Amino acid sequence: MNAIKVLVVDDEKPLRDFVRRNLEVRGYEVLTASNGLEAMALFNTSPVDLVILDIMMPHQDGLETTRRIRQSSNVPIIILTALGEEADKVRAFDLGVDDYLTKPFGVGELLGRIKAVLRRSHWSTPNTDDERIVRGDISVELANHRVTIRGQTIELTPTEYNLLIYLMRYAGKVLEHRAILQHVWGAEYGDEAEYLRVYIGRLRQKIESDPLHPRYLHTEHGIGYRFEG
Amino acid sequence: MKRWLYLYRDLGVQLLALYLLLIVPFLITLLVFNQLVGVRIRENVEANDLSLAHAIAQETNNSINNSLQAVQELAAYPEVVQADSAGMDRLFSVAMNTHPNMNLIYRLSPSGIMLYHYPTGPGSTVGVDFSFRQYYQQALKTDQPFVSEGRISPTTNQPVATAVMPIWSGDGQFLGLVGANIKLESLSNTLASIASEHQSQEGLQVAILDSSYQIIAYPDPAFLLHSASDLFPDIYQHAAADNGSSQIAADSGNNERLYTHAPISDIHWEVIVSRPTSAAFAAQITLQHVTEIAASAFVLIGLFFWAILSFRVIGPVEQLAPISEAIGANRPISQEERDQLKRLARREDQIGHLIRSILRMEESIGDRMKENATLLETSAAVVSSLDLQTVLDRILEQMSRLLKVERCAIIALDEQHGVFRVQASRGLSKSYVERLAIQPSEPDSVTMRALHAKEAIYVSDTETDPSYVNRRGLSRSEGYRAIMAVPLNTQHAPPTVLLVFHAVPHQFTYNEIQLLTTFANQAAMAIENAVLFERSDTRLEEQTRRLEALIQSMEDGLILSDLKDQVVYANRRVGELASLTPEDLAGASVKSVLARILANAQDTQKAQQEIKNIFEKAGARKVEIDLSLSGQAASMRLETFDVTDMRDIIIGHGLILQDVTADRELDRMKSSLISTVSHELRTPLAGIKGYVSTLLADDVEWDRSSQREFLSVISNETDRLSSLVNNLLDLSRIEAGSLRLSHQVCELEETIQRAAKQARLEAGNRLEVQIEPNLPPLFGDPPRLETILRNLIENAAKYGGSDAAIRVEVVRQKDHLVFRVSDNGPGIPPEESQRIFESFYRVDNSLTRTASGAGLGLAICQGFVRAHGGRIWVEPQESGACIAFLIPLNGAADLQKSLDVEHNGANDERD
Repeated sequence: MNAIKVLVVDDEKPLRDFVRRNLEVRGYEVLTASNGLEAMALFNTSPVDLVILDIMMPHQDGLETTRRIRQSSNVPIIILTALGEEADKVRAFDLGVDDYLTKPFGVGELLGRIKAVLRRSHWSTPNTDDERIVRGDISVELANHRVTIRGQTIELTPTEYNLLIYLMRYAGKVLEHRAILQHVWGAEYGDEAEYLRVYIGRLRQKIESDPLHPRYLHTEHGIGYRFEG
Repeated sequence: MKRWLYLYRDLGVQLLALYLLLIVPFLITLLVFNQLVGVRIRENVEANDLSLAHAIAQETNNSINNSLQAVQELAAYPEVVQADSAGMDRLFSVAMNTHPNMNLIYRLSPSGIMLYHYPTGPGSTVGVDFSFRQYYQQALKTDQPFVSEGRISPTTNQPVATAVMPIWSGDGQFLGLVGANIKLESLSNTLASIASEHQSQEGLQVAILDSSYQIIAYPDPAFLLHSASDLFPDIYQHAAADNGSSQIAADSGNNERLYTHAPISDIHWEVIVSRPTSAAFAAQITLQHVTEIAASAFVLIGLFFWAILSFRVIGPVEQLAPISEAIGANRPISQEERDQLKRLARREDQIGHLIRSILRMEESIGDRMKENATLLETSAAVVSSLDLQTVLDRILEQMSRLLKVERCAIIALDEQHGVFRVQASRGLSKSYVERLAIQPSEPDSVTMRALHAKEAIYVSDTETDPSYVNRRGLSRSEGYRAIMAVPLNTQHAPPTVLLVFHAVPHQFTYNEIQLLTTFANQAAMAIENAVLFERSDTRLEEQTRRLEALIQSMEDGLILSDLKDQVVYANRRVGELASLTPEDLAGASVKSVLARILANAQDTQKAQQEIKNIFEKAGARKVEIDLSLSGQAASMRLETFDVTDMRDIIIGHGLILQDVTADRELDRMKSSLISTVSHELRTPLAGIKGYVSTLLADDVEWDRSSQREFLSVISNETDRLSSLVNNLLDLSRIEAGSLRLSHQVCELEETIQRAAKQARLEAGNRLEVQIEPNLPPLFGDPPRLETILRNLIENAAKYGGSDAAIRVEVVRQKDHLVFRVSDNGPGIPPEESQRIFESFYRVDNSLTRTASGAGLGLAICQGFVRAHGGRIWVEPQESGACIAFLIPLNGAADLQKSLDVEHNGANDERD
């Protein structure tokens, strides 16, 4: 198996080096860039398995970079930023990032998130299951990750896909925030309710015919979410 | 009901009713009395007549019975039975003597042949057959004596009635009869004597009728044996059976008579007493006449009084009523009515008096009305203005009109000089007006006397009035002979007196004084009003001006509108915002003004909706809208409020337009500052934490050189953090104006190199330093200068890219040193070049680090440059970015001075 290739983008050299050194020593292959433009150049020339992006960078910031990557790829993206406000996180998630790390952070935290994101990404890779889940108008072929709604195939990110599958499997049951986060994002998660809010919102945009009055994804205030088939 | 009301309303009808009330019972009593007495009188008369008739009947009966008894006795004599003439002669003569009413006694044979009669007389009828006689027929059927009908005796040739006694033998054989002729004349004589007894009662007739209604007895013998109908109306044929009654009937001469009859029952005769009713009921008739006369007299008198009353009293009173009503209501009276009144007024009685007094009253009411109207008019004219001078002029004008004088004046206390002067005048000479100054202590002045007495004081003739001796010069020079002063009852205005002048002696009438006094009250009120208004007006004007200035100078827009949403007031700022002149604003609708302001809104539709909401909703009445004002983004806060009057009733609305751009900017700056500072602090912290955690990680064993490398990064980042903290502190000192710089000679080359070293240039970066030779020494704060340069170089490296060429240049420009740090990177967009120094604020809220990455850095640079008395700017360049700053070369004193100036300038800019 080839080494996992990670693209690290940050305008602060010390931080960039810190991430690079730690990943390299753990067997990842690391590419670095100091701004969004450089990052796009690298991303377009060599395939990467994971992108770690700072937000505040000269020339092209992290969010714009995310938007451009997402136009062509579902590669997992982790955002690193000194901006710790929820609005910033929500905006990032809206653009389709997979995770978010607020500076300063430690090595353990970084590695844990990378693993979780990669795991989710791995789950979403095609498997040999011939299983097929149908709930209402939504039909998911697990074998090739095809999601069709009212006959139309829709595109989901791995995290969105995993979240949908998890909710569909437990259709009719109220699933708590923590349980969803731990199942979909990984054992390291549990308090990031805002992730859920963003992802559920995006799922609704994609699968509900009227996202303001959802048919499938119901919010259980203060508890979690429920899928109605 | 209406009739009753009419009765109550009409005096004539009332009097009539009263009169009837008095008269009608009287007349009714009279009639009833008349009736009762009439009946009584009639009964008395009838009873009298009846008793007379009865008495006559009784007498006649007795006399007839005597005769019958006599013939019965005679018939019992045998001589008679045997028809012995001698015996009969003797017997009959005796009987004749004892019965003078008989004139013939005779004996008929059974066959009715006259056998004998006494006296035998000359015309003897002996031998004559009398069997045809009715009494003979009757005698055949009875053995009792009876009386025959009246007839003419052939023997005596006199009217007689015969008392007959049939003679029957013991075996029932009819032997003839004895008859005695009773002289009817004798009966008549009896009646005549009775009649003569009643001679006083004129027209009394008494008659006796036999059973065949022949007159048997009557005072006038001529009527004897005539049918009763010759004398009496045909009334007694049917009434004979009863016991006597009375009846009134007309006789042949058509005169009414009272007829009374009484039966002589034994022989079926009747007595009739008759007399004319006029005589019989004379008393009653008299009484009736009296009653009639009395009734007609009352009616006539009543009518007479009624007429008198109507014409003389009620008529005039009725005429007077509408006229007096008209007078009371001040309606004009027609000439016709007036003539009528004048005619009536000539009467000498009370009515005339009443009308005269009403006419007088009308006159005086008219006068008073006219006076009041004039007074009212003048008062209205006087109080119609609040301007003191106008009020005074009008008072004079009305005074002269009211009293018909040409000269008058208003004298008031000149409070400054303590003397009374003419405040306004009419018709007076200028010299008099200017010269007149009355001391309050002056005793002879009419003005002062009036003021002290608080009532009108007048002098009828200045030449003769002893009280005016001392002031005579004044009156002579001004040429007046009579003067009156009336004080005004003022409280807020100074003491004031009205003066009236007459050129000739004038006796002021009570009416004039009264009129002027009343007018004075009105005038006082008008003057008071004017004075008070002047005072309040001045105060109000001052207040209004102050308020106006305040509101006009406000930076906030203020619109006051009425309930119809028309602008009542709008200040200068509103005009600016809506680009309207004050003239356009006045009377415009709030909607149109707002529409003009909102035309600049960034989202006009949304803004209009929001404003509509605050106008309609009662709750949230504030809204903020984003506008662009003269090309710059601005936030405007609109707040509406209700304007109420003293009773809390809404009379309009107010709208405050507040430019909150600065507040919003400050808010944004504050939050931006926090987030920027936090970002700037987190960056070195991230390095420190990252490397520390790297060193602490269990799964990797780092070699020593790596460990040292990590530790040195940690150390550098720590230094960076602490320098950042220091810079922040400095920055806050600059903001607070408390930064103190040291002033020592700076080694430029050395400072630049140190700064470049700290800037952590990338390997590919090239640094070129060019310093103009022979520069004078720069006095400054080396660490701050180094910070400025380091930040600029760092930025240049960051933006120029990893292989950027960075150039630092220092040149002298007059008494400044100009530093330029440039790179060959993409450069700074012109629209950002002004903003990048505006502290560390992310103005456009973009996360792109084009400017804000260096946000704190450039802000710190600007702060330090300004602290040195210099300035910093972006220098336009064809390619790459160039930031330049200048530091003055002069000494410490100037520096400090310029620092203060800059600081203040900075403040000004921000404000």
